[in-house]
Amino acid sequence: MNLSSILVYTSSKHLEDLQSSLCALPGIEVHHQCHDTGRLIVIQEAVDEKTEMDGLRRIKDLPHVMAAEMFYHYVDDGNTLPAESQNGEVLSWA
Amino acid sequence: MGITRRTFIKASMATATAAAVGLPVSQAALAAAKTMENDWRWDRGVCRFCGVGCGIQIATKDGKIVATKADPDAPVNRGINCIKGYFNGKILYGKDRLTKPLLRMKDGKFSKQGDFVEVSWERAFDEMEKQFRKAYSELGPTGIGIFGSGQYTIQEGYAAMKLMKAGFRSNNIDPNARHCMASAVAGFIQTFGIDEPAGNYDDIEHTDTAILWGANMAEMHPILWTRIVDRRSKHPNMRIVNLSTYSNMSSDMADLEIIFRPSSDLAIQNFIAREIIKRDAVNWDFVKKHCVFATGPYDIGYGMRNNSDFAFKKEMDTQAEQRMHTLDKFEAIGQRRKPGTKVPQDAQAKPGAHWLIEFEEFKKGVEPYTLDFVAELAKGDADESLDQFKAKLQELADLYVDAQRKVVSFWTMGFNQHQRGTWVNEQAYMNHLLLGKQAMPGNGAFSLTGQPSACGTAREVGTFSHRLPADMVVFNPKHRKTSEDIWHLPKNTLNPKTGSHITKIMRDLEDGSIKWAWVQVNNPFQATANANHWIKAARKMDNFIITSDGYPSISAKVSDLILPSAMIFEKWGGYGNAERRTQLWREQVPPPGEARSDVWQILEFSKRIKLKDVWGEQKVPGLKAAGFTDGKMPNVLNGARKMGYKSDDTLYDVLFAHERNKKFAWPDPIANGHDNHTVDLLGDGWFVEKALFEEYAQFGRGHAHDLADFNLYFHKDVRGLKWPVVNGK
Repeated sequence: MNLSSILVYTSSKHLEDLQSSLCALPGIEVHHQCHDTGRLIVIQEAVDEKTEMDGLRRIKDLPHVMAAEMFYHYVDDGNTLPAESQNGEVLSWA
Repeated sequence: MGITRRTFIKASMATATAAAVGLPVSQAALAAAKTMENDWRWDRGVCRFCGVGCGIQIATKDGKIVATKADPDAPVNRGINCIKGYFNGKILYGKDRLTKPLLRMKDGKFSKQGDFVEVSWERAFDEMEKQFRKAYSELGPTGIGIFGSGQYTIQEGYAAMKLMKAGFRSNNIDPNARHCMASAVAGFIQTFGIDEPAGNYDDIEHTDTAILWGANMAEMHPILWTRIVDRRSKHPNMRIVNLSTYSNMSSDMADLEIIFRPSSDLAIQNFIAREIIKRDAVNWDFVKKHCVFATGPYDIGYGMRNNSDFAFKKEMDTQAEQRMHTLDKFEAIGQRRKPGTKVPQDAQAKPGAHWLIEFEEFKKGVEPYTLDFVAELAKGDADESLDQFKAKLQELADLYVDAQRKVVSFWTMGFNQHQRGTWVNEQAYMNHLLLGKQAMPGNGAFSLTGQPSACGTAREVGTFSHRLPADMVVFNPKHRKTSEDIWHLPKNTLNPKTGSHITKIMRDLEDGSIKWAWVQVNNPFQATANANHWIKAARKMDNFIITSDGYPSISAKVSDLILPSAMIFEKWGGYGNAERRTQLWREQVPPPGEARSDVWQILEFSKRIKLKDVWGEQKVPGLKAAGFTDGKMPNVLNGARKMGYKSDDTLYDVLFAHERNKKFAWPDPIANGHDNHTVDLLGDGWFVEKALFEEYAQFGRGHAHDLADFNLYFHKDVRGLKWPVVNGK
């Protein structure tokens, strides 16, 4: 299982729009946002590395994204989690 | 249950991220996030993927990496990772990791035509030794080679370089960093006499202008790009210029995008120099105090072989250029000749020759590079009008020349992997020096690096065919003496003749003048231009090639012996980044199967070769022709005996496991519970990576390359240290 936290930079005036676009993407949850600095923290879940890379690129390609970089990667500590989840939440289009 | 845990992990990761980048989070959330990490061991490391040198943190549990994150306290990346950093943990766990030595065999014996068969390390080293002796006795020190790397840890590069130069008396060790940084290095040495940038990343927060010359930083150096974007958002006067041969992601944030024809950046630089002079903007105080004007030959060829003996049929037209180049109309203007003139490339043997000139001659040299000429030559976007392009060039010159404006020029491979890479590096310095905008906060020409330790290992340790540590060179008798003294070698052990650079090692395999080669921490049979030549040489010629790798790369597959290697956090190591920052790490997890560190491989192999095998008289072709008194290297065994060595001592005894190094005992409290498989396998209780680091540091201390004590890099408040480190700072 692949989990990453991603820090997304935008401008304050586009924060809400971008948050809606992010929430509409499969495998993405928006966890924190800061209006003053135009930053959002999202968690992305993907089935494999390639999907996760493509997933980051798709965020970078959204309108109003100034930068999006990964921060924290969870590899799997052996307590294997089921790879699928409810409502197609996991990013697995690849 | 799974979903609950997943939700919990996600929330914890988000909280940890928020806290690290300064977003508000509650104490309760923070405490909950910590619970997830209860039985994890966190330690610091450095990203292994590029020259930026981002600090990361690594969590391990039961001998496996379970999580990685950017280090919020790392001054380079300040808590952010790019897409490359993502792979630091994952790279260790690919399905096709190599875990056993593999030797090509037929009927139970080594055969170049055989298939790979799993063998023991003992069997692998037996064959390596046998083939080494065969090549060395036939061809001497020039008959062997090592393909080194800009991804070597400092200790790996140092051990490999010392074994080759001090042990085997061969200078045929050269890194893949030659491909990416040779022109950067030559530009530094020719301009400053020292091989490293004067600036550092903090210049980003002090500058008003970032000018990118062939560096797509948005995609290739995203962390530094984040800092540039951040500076632009906070500093209204900040301008970003992206010069490129095609439109790329860095243009998205640029105030000015200049698309130019390949190689015409040289002309643009000359245009800027001409504008500086024309606008009377030369900073004469600075120039008179710090600079001289110099020039060199232009008929230097293209670095190819100077004969067509090995050129494939379809390469003949390119090969012919090496000897004779026909000028096009633009070159003719620059060289003040007629178009179509055939210019013999007479200076190809000494392309770095240079001589002093007066300012007036310099001024005359750049005079042809008018706006009209350069715009016509350099315009790279067919959809742009000449007038639009001219306006852009003017604006570029305005930004450089403006006395109130600080400027940093950045470049990477757009300059370095260039037909005239050394020249264009030198031109960048030329313009910054003319303006006096160099070596001060926010001002400077900054050569970015591609590989994680191209600076720290390849260049600073000197794993090049012409180098010794700390910017010293093999052809300088004083430098050899300094090295022989530090290494406790008899006089004249070191080979004074520059060895084969990485492309020449390939050519030597092709023409049979190298018959034993070891690939370490790189993939030259994929990454070297004209790979069709080299793969053929590896497979068809009489030679023995060893590749140490974590995965079955192209180089591994064309080799005769594959040695399974420990990867980044499976060993102790250190890297030096593009701003002279040295960062060390501990072994985090054990290597899989029988994979072992490169340091172990180098030292273990050195146990098999004795002084009497290599320190007798050695013939070195071309020694006399290169200006040395004798055509061969002397027998130094008598000198060795006087120093207390025995001719039956191994290179391991003399070069590595000597008393001075054995003072560094393992275990050492600095390990803080971490293992060291290299030390365990060698089995004689000295802390190899610490000893090698401290021995290497002797070369630079007191010579402006000062490294700190090994232990200081592991201090809880230290996130790497930029050299020179003086009094711990």
